[in-house]
Amino acid sequence: MIKLFGIIFKNRVFIASGVFGFGLKYKRVSNQVGAIFTKGITLEPRKGNPPPRVFETASGLINWVGLENPGVEKFCEEILPKMNKLHTKIFVNVAGSEVVHYERIVERIGEQVDGFELNISCPNVKEGGVAFGQDPKIAASVVARARTKTKLPLIVKLTPNFCDPLKIARVCIAAGADGISLINTLHGMVYDTGRKRPLITGGLSGPAIKPFALYCVNRLQGLGVPIIGMGGIMTGQDAYEFLLAGASAVAIGSAILRDPYAPLKIIRELKKMSNKNGNS
Amino acid sequence: MVRRVTIKKKQWFTDEIFGLEVHLPNLDLQPGQFFQVRTSTTYDPFLNRPISIASYKGGRLLLIIKVVGRGTKMLGQKKVGEDLQILGPFGKGLKLKKKKSLLIAGGIGVAPLLFLAQKMYGKRIEFDFVYGVKKEQALIKKSHISQIARHAIFVAEQGRSKMTVLGALDMLDIASYDIAYACGPTTMLIELQKLNLPIPVYAFCEDFLGCGCGLCLGCAIMYKGEYKRICEDGPVFELKGISFDE
Ligand SMILES: Cc1cc2nc3c(=O)[nH]c(=O)nc-3n(C[C@H](O)[C@H](O)[C@H](O)COP(=O)(O)OP(=O)(O)OC[C@H]3O[C@@H](n4cnc5c(N)ncnc54)[C@H](O)[C@@H]3O)c2cc1C
Ligand SMILES: Cc1cc2nc3c(=O)[nH]c(=O)nc-3n(C[C@H](O)[C@H](O)[C@H](O)COP(=O)(O)O)c2cc1C
Ligand code: FES
Repeated sequence: MIKLFGIIFKNRVFIASGVFGFGLKYKRVSNQVGAIFTKGITLEPRKGNPPPRVFETASGLINWVGLENPGVEKFCEEILPKMNKLHTKIFVNVAGSEVVHYERIVERIGEQVDGFELNISCPNVKEGGVAFGQDPKIAASVVARARTKTKLPLIVKLTPNFCDPLKIARVCIAAGADGISLINTLHGMVYDTGRKRPLITGGLSGPAIKPFALYCVNRLQGLGVPIIGMGGIMTGQDAYEFLLAGASAVAIGSAILRDPYAPLKIIRELKKMSNKNGNS
Repeated sequence: MVRRVTIKKKQWFTDEIFGLEVHLPNLDLQPGQFFQVRTSTTYDPFLNRPISIASYKGGRLLLIIKVVGRGTKMLGQKKVGEDLQILGPFGKGLKLKKKKSLLIAGGIGVAPLLFLAQKMYGKRIEFDFVYGVKKEQALIKKSHISQIARHAIFVAEQGRSKMTVLGALDMLDIASYDIAYACGPTTMLIELQKLNLPIPVYAFCEDFLGCGCGLCLGCAIMYKGEYKRICEDGPVFELKGISFDE
């Protein structure tokens, strides 16, 4: 057990946003992880992008799912009551295309969950599609405004695309963030040589991004808030490396696409590693 | 859960299509369902590959696979006695109705229809089987199909018949069937949809999958105005309801 943000978690292994739906299918897994981060929730329902939405790349994949989700209203009415029966902590991953969306979603959900993760990697429609998390001022305003709507833990998920995560993390913490999670997927593209145009443009994840993810987590050491590290974690050893690099907990993403039970294996392996190395 | 199974038998039907048989007892498998197959124990290729059930009898599961890329090539290199890691079954199984059925297979699309035929045969449901390929040599399991189907028609675009599978449908009185099941390349399904057959047609659909089990929203098909999961809501959908251009 560990305590972060004043909350007791079963263990340090969480499930990252977008790879496990709402945790209602493999409940045995949901009930054994420290926390579940939901698929990104937007103000209005989103139907998502046309196929193909995933493309395998070297030791990983690019996804272009397009934040398909039922929208905050239906999420609160139909999904949240079911999620709240799970024996784990629930963090809602909040996504928006305008600054005000984040605070509205946080406000609508209220106290029904254990906390929020603000996904500021989303394109900001009013600023020509540049991600909120790329601009320190905009990132800070998203956080500050969401902060006024909740007392629950507010985690900010960083996008290390074209910006220094340390700089953004500092302003987010100053604006009231309780923790930082990173890394979200990296920009990636696959080219269609036949048609001489991109075949898919989306977010790169999986073991291919692990070294960069570790570097980013390590760079955020000493900020004084819990860091949730993720990016290419496949084994207990990987998870242990993130903890050594300064993360308080880790989240499992793409590994679940290869095996929905991967988090359970990682929990077991991490326990063994930690025991062997005299940590807990 | 990842199941570790041993390859008991391997057979090359053509120079690009092979079968792997593994022992996997006590499962209740339905046509339309598939397994997610690991191609490698390393992280490259990273994702599992969806492969349909081609036959399941006495605990022996047969997968029939066509080499089309890196992952299927690696599976083709596996030898008898080696382990195979598979997850599943996934996908919504078909509930078979006692209706006079027409099975329409294009190319490797024959794989899941073989299992459908096996089940129908077991339940004494009458069916005809139309099966088309590009080159004559690519027709597999012909005698088996002829044995269990009431009528079987085999055609090859570059063979004696010089006919596509959809061309072969002209030879049949479609209205005499109650229902049809089709599996083949998406181009075939699109053309089939345009034919607007007078009976319900159920299509086995394909996409590149992520998880294969409804978690990642990485697969999508526009069906009756909304995106559905191929892996979980399908892979079989009524052809009429599919919008292939979205
Ligand atoms: C439910 C289901 C059941 C199936 N059953 C069978 C079966 O029984 N037998 C069988 O042989 N096959 C079956 N398939 C198809 C099979 O899964 C694919 O042929 C296989 O995954 C290809 O893997 P690969 O590594 O060989 O090819 P890959 O190298 O992954 O791909 C082949 C080609 O497609 C391109 N490509 C790859 N990903 C994408 C993408 N996302 N978008 C666009 N182009 C892409 C590649 O560039 C390459 O040229 C089934 C598929 C589904 C969805
Ligand atoms: C299919 C897929 C969907 C994802 N959806 C979301 C999402 O909705 N919101 C979000 O913040 N991150 C999303 N992510 C990013 C993951 O939560 C995670 O940050 C990233 O994939 C890196 O971890 P990994 O390499 O272990 O996958 C998604 C990732 C994948 C692969
Ligand atoms: S492949 Fe993940 S939901 Fe279908």
